[in-house]
Amino acid sequence: MSAAAAAAGTYTPAAEAGGKRREKREELRRHLAEDADWPRADGRSIHDCRPAFMQTGPTTAASGSAYAEFGKTKVIVSVFGPRESKKAMLYSDTGRLNCSVSYTTFATGIRGQGLENKEYSGMLHKALEGAVMLHTFPKTTVDVFALVLESGGSDLPIIISCASLALADAGIMMYDLVTSVSVSCLGKNVIIDPTSDEEAWQDGGLMVSYMPTRREITQLTLTGEWSDGKITNAVELCMDACSKLCEILRERLKDTAVLEENE
Amino acid sequence: MSARDLHLRLSQAQRVRLEAALHELHTLNPAAAAAAVNVADNIPVNHEDSILKGHGTSDRDGEVVATLCGVVERVQSLVSVRTLRARYKPEIGDIIVGRVSEIAPKRWRLEINFSQGAVLMLSSVNLPDGVQRRRTAVDELNMRSIFAENDVVCAEVRGYLPDGSLELHASSQKYGKLQRGQLLTVPAYLVKQWNQHFHHLKQYNVDLILGCNGFIWVGEHVVVAENTDVKEDQQKLAMEADNFTPIETRTHICRLANAVRVLSALGFTLTVELIIQTAEASLPSTVEINEMLGAEFYVQTAEREAKRRASSLRKMNGAS
Repeated sequence: MSAAAAAAGTYTPAAEAGGKRREKREELRRHLAEDADWPRADGRSIHDCRPAFMQTGPTTAASGSAYAEFGKTKVIVSVFGPRESKKAMLYSDTGRLNCSVSYTTFATGIRGQGLENKEYSGMLHKALEGAVMLHTFPKTTVDVFALVLESGGSDLPIIISCASLALADAGIMMYDLVTSVSVSCLGKNVIIDPTSDEEAWQDGGLMVSYMPTRREITQLTLTGEWSDGKITNAVELCMDACSKLCEILRERLKDTAVLEENE
Repeated sequence: MSARDLHLRLSQAQRVRLEAALHELHTLNPAAAAAAVNVADNIPVNHEDSILKGHGTSDRDGEVVATLCGVVERVQSLVSVRTLRARYKPEIGDIIVGRVSEIAPKRWRLEINFSQGAVLMLSSVNLPDGVQRRRTAVDELNMRSIFAENDVVCAEVRGYLPDGSLELHASSQKYGKLQRGQLLTVPAYLVKQWNQHFHHLKQYNVDLILGCNGFIWVGEHVVVAENTDVKEDQQKLAMEADNFTPIETRTHICRLANAVRVLSALGFTLTVELIIQTAEASLPSTVEINEMLGAEFYVQTAEREAKRRASSLRKMNGAS
């Protein structure tokens, strides 16, 4: 191909460089599947999560909002409510939680809507409804809108944690904060907080949404190939990581509190 | 508004002084100490006392656990959690200051720091000629001459509309358009409900209106006439257009406005006395008006408040 290109008098460096990149990635994939100590693309070990940056209050028009950035994944969640809605007009003892996850057109490498987001809204709802006290806002609705600005892997767990922070910021009564972490099973190794490449290579995936103080799991999603022993280890790994992430969320909420209460 | 909004840069010495003052404030009010709480935190409670679990708390294995993130408030035996970013919760009869955001058929929509806009009906406003009559189509076309977009208006809450938005009315002489002054926004919980929300500060010739929604108006004093005559009104308007506000009044307005900004950044409840004291404290030390928003004055205000509360507490304890 390059001979033909050279004959035509054009130079295409991209094709060759692309080949080298592909080779490097294949090598990384093989190493991650076999070696327990091989560093990942961003230098982490297989048991390290990405450094988390979270902040409350980016959307001033919403009752509560939060922004989360984990490596390349950037998510912003806005919570509106409790407010009236036509669907909730029929009297009911419990309130309604309405979740919606959407991707921006520039979130993934290829322009266009992600296909998984139709499921994500339902999954976000299931993860949160166990923690939110619906009976405290009867006949009204709390709307949770999640927008993924950039998708860098492990999207749904980050959306769930960010939504939990946004709900706390909005003052919705909850039993506990919900944090969520996912792991990928790749060959012999179990990799925590995978990036989008690692997710594409995975043999199986596990996502756990956990309420650390109450020590209860609100949602557990298992896909792909897993062996028994690995599942137990993976679930414990996730729960541990969720507890640590919850500490970060609490720090963030305390910061906002300390700045404001001074009476 | 918070300390972040004022973009203060404190020197090391100032930081130390500020911490000392805040610490003293916390110790003076031990109930408020250790008050910030997150969801599912245990609220420290004396188990021997009978405790009423209020809003924002729940019971778990005999422990009182918070369900909201916020500040713990204790009133005798009632323990509750108040959120920080709570939006303004309107009550009927509250005095509100708002800004006109839109003119709609027969009504104005005002922005008042509530989840929805507030509505001020044409029929709830006094017409300029002072006559009580049915509003005609001509009145509707001339709505902009009464309040235009972005005007600041003072009104009272009449009630809620079926869709949840607020309805206001401005049918007394003391309500209406506010001119020649500054509008300030503070968090709504810093303005408690009192008997008096309109304050006329005679020594400065300034009107101070503390809106319950957290909008505060500081402006030149307006004489409220009992009966207005059409011709008189027009003459007065013409005169006012010629006179500018005297520079002294304007400096007083600026001082009071800056005092409000500093107090809201520190998070103190706004009372008229406190605002006046803060503004007066800036006079003798010849603090320039724009320095009132600086770090030094911020720290001094915190220290002064700590001293004031300590002395009033001592007086109370001495008296009792």
